[in-house]
Amino acid sequence: MTKETSTDVRFLMGNEAIGRGVIEAGCGVAAAYPGTPSSEVLESLVRWKKELGHPVYLEWSINEKVAFEVAYGASLAGARSMAAMKMVGLNVASDAVMSAAYLGVRGGLVVVVADDPGPHSSQTEQDSRFFAWFAKIPVLDPGTPAEALQMTRKAFDLSEKYQVPVLLRPCLRVCHARQDVHLGTPLPVAGVGPFEKNWTRWAAIPKFRLVLHGELNEKLERIRQEEPDARPQLIRRGRGDGLAVITSGSVSSHVRDVIATDERLDEADLYKVDLPFPAHAEALQEIADNHAATLVMEETYPVLELQIRDRRKVTGRLSGHVPPQGELIPELVEDIIGKAAGREPAARSAPSVKPRRPSLCAGCPHRPAFYMIRQIFDDAVYTGDIGCYTLGINMGAVDTCLCMGASVGMAGGFARVAAPEGQTRVVATIGDSTFYHAGVPALINAVHTRAPFVLVIMDNSVTAMTGGQPTPANDYLADGSPGEPVDMERLVRGCGVDFVEIVDPYDYSGMKQTLEKARAFTFEAGQGVSVVIARRPCVRMPNVELPSERFEISSERCDLCMTCVRDLECPAIHYVKGEKRMEIDVDLCAGCGFCVEMCPSQAIELKGA
Amino acid sequence: MVEMILCGRGGQGIVFLTRQIGQMAAAKGLNVISSETHGMAVRGGSINSHLRIGPFFSPLIRQGHADFLVSLDASETANNRHFLKSGGLIIENSPLPDEPQIRRIDASAIARRLGRVQLENVVLIGFASTVDGFPVSGEELRSQFAKDPREAIRTMNLRALEAGRGGR
Repeated sequence: MTKETSTDVRFLMGNEAIGRGVIEAGCGVAAAYPGTPSSEVLESLVRWKKELGHPVYLEWSINEKVAFEVAYGASLAGARSMAAMKMVGLNVASDAVMSAAYLGVRGGLVVVVADDPGPHSSQTEQDSRFFAWFAKIPVLDPGTPAEALQMTRKAFDLSEKYQVPVLLRPCLRVCHARQDVHLGTPLPVAGVGPFEKNWTRWAAIPKFRLVLHGELNEKLERIRQEEPDARPQLIRRGRGDGLAVITSGSVSSHVRDVIATDERLDEADLYKVDLPFPAHAEALQEIADNHAATLVMEETYPVLELQIRDRRKVTGRLSGHVPPQGELIPELVEDIIGKAAGREPAARSAPSVKPRRPSLCAGCPHRPAFYMIRQIFDDAVYTGDIGCYTLGINMGAVDTCLCMGASVGMAGGFARVAAPEGQTRVVATIGDSTFYHAGVPALINAVHTRAPFVLVIMDNSVTAMTGGQPTPANDYLADGSPGEPVDMERLVRGCGVDFVEIVDPYDYSGMKQTLEKARAFTFEAGQGVSVVIARRPCVRMPNVELPSERFEISSERCDLCMTCVRDLECPAIHYVKGEKRMEIDVDLCAGCGFCVEMCPSQAIELKGA
Repeated sequence: MVEMILCGRGGQGIVFLTRQIGQMAAAKGLNVISSETHGMAVRGGSINSHLRIGPFFSPLIRQGHADFLVSLDASETANNRHFLKSGGLIIENSPLPDEPQIRRIDASAIARRLGRVQLENVVLIGFASTVDGFPVSGEELRSQFAKDPREAIRTMNLRALEAGRGGR
């Protein structure tokens, strides 16, 4: 967001446009848990709040379920509210969302759920529009940042009009696109009046739930029939009876560009559906009936396609004409539409090189922690978790990655099954934010069941992967206002863990000794789960001062064992091919100095010493 | 209409450059749309941005459509070359001499001489602004960077910009 423009046009990221829409709709409470590609929604709200002096309450919640519940509580109390998350976060929040669909809302409640077809930064390619269908709530599907702003405002109106939560589903190509976006005038923060107690509605027992389910079905039917966005809009007229393309959301932008730039596709009629559930099925059917062929292009599940009852002349994901997985990138869109129009796909040359794999940053405190875990527990199974430290796979220190918090839960399961001889140990690693998010119940479970594993909490004091959002351990909230820090060590002890030690992962011998003690406690003395908190701030945080020392490798002492490259995997160290020597890149080196103690040949020394 | 890919390694400031160009285009009243890489890949992995000025809806450039490929890391150029149209131009951070369709500047070395290798992105965009047909001019970049309220950063960026424009 730039502030210098005097006009009301800005070059906004989709997520910033959504944040702007939330402000313009007069939202009073917004909560989120960070996750790519959704994180900038709440981050931008912090900036909009500051820029406009807006009173909206903002929080990074402990997880997505709590974020939704905070928003839902605010809605019942009468305010417009929003919860933002990525699609796998919606899985975490699903219990609350499904139930809220039945109960309904008071103040407009919008759930922003960012999908990640590809997937680029996620575990699944799930389609949150399909989730909306499952939960029986309406969903809006923006195609560009500019549309996302408008649809956000619309989502609040819809939610309040029909008293149902509304899902806004931007895909990554909307979230992380930037576009010139026209700003609107923010509505004042208004409420629908204070909460009125009515337990048959807001605390409904099963017999009232049946009634509420009926009411929800009636709401959906009214939306389907009455809302213009539930009908396909003709956005480009062609021949009228040849090829029809029905599209929605992020892929609609590729479809529009492909059709607009190819005169051979002039005869195609292009329809777009902004509210893909509950869509006006009869209108969709009419298109299919009136055209020789209809192609449905949507990300990532066949939501519109399934709502067309007679699909004999319809192609899409169900018919196999659109691949059942993977992102619909423009080249693919071009090929699919071209084929539907009776053409052969264009020949293309693929990139000739493999992309560079991501890696923990130079100086990242997770690196020495993983290194020492491998040294002390060389025969272990390493259950891993979701965050930067998933990149411990590069160091052979992460063997599993399922979902938020699963390192702890799965360790409890691994510990119950006899392993091959000499491979009996389980070591779990989890980041601080992920531990708060979903690790705590699993740890209590492990304590209670006396599960024998070591848990290393990689505590870098922020949610690093998604850009450094605060965790419950911080003493400030999303917008910088003061918060109450929830102490990690006390929390772990409160879970019932007897062995809790905090250690600086840069401290070679300290880290070594602490892990040895944990090993003795859990595996030798059999005293149950032990927890090591490897604590050092993320090197990417702006307030972290990096050591100024730089190091060099003595070619005389270095025997090219490659431990620094293979086991430490430091991106600042590389092999110089022609010269058969190792080199430290001073531009990349963060000065942590861990390699000095790690090097088996003691070949690394202070530069210029 | 101009379509441009910017590529490099995570952490080199690709997203920053993309935003600067987009903001300048939007401020001129042009339609502009771009796409950025975020998430896991920015931890030192290969990343690129797409930037399209013109009446586009999609933030992604199709293979064979880009007018420019601005590369902050020569080893990433080959990853993105397929986006370039025939006759498109590569503008690359590299100590090697120019070739047909490739303009080069050793932006890393220049940035290091200025005291911070992290300025290589600004050096490169300064250099790019001297190339015929590039959608932003030196003057526009100057006034854009001059808006940064942080004095130290503003000064360094402006120096890096001029160093890139001067080719040294």
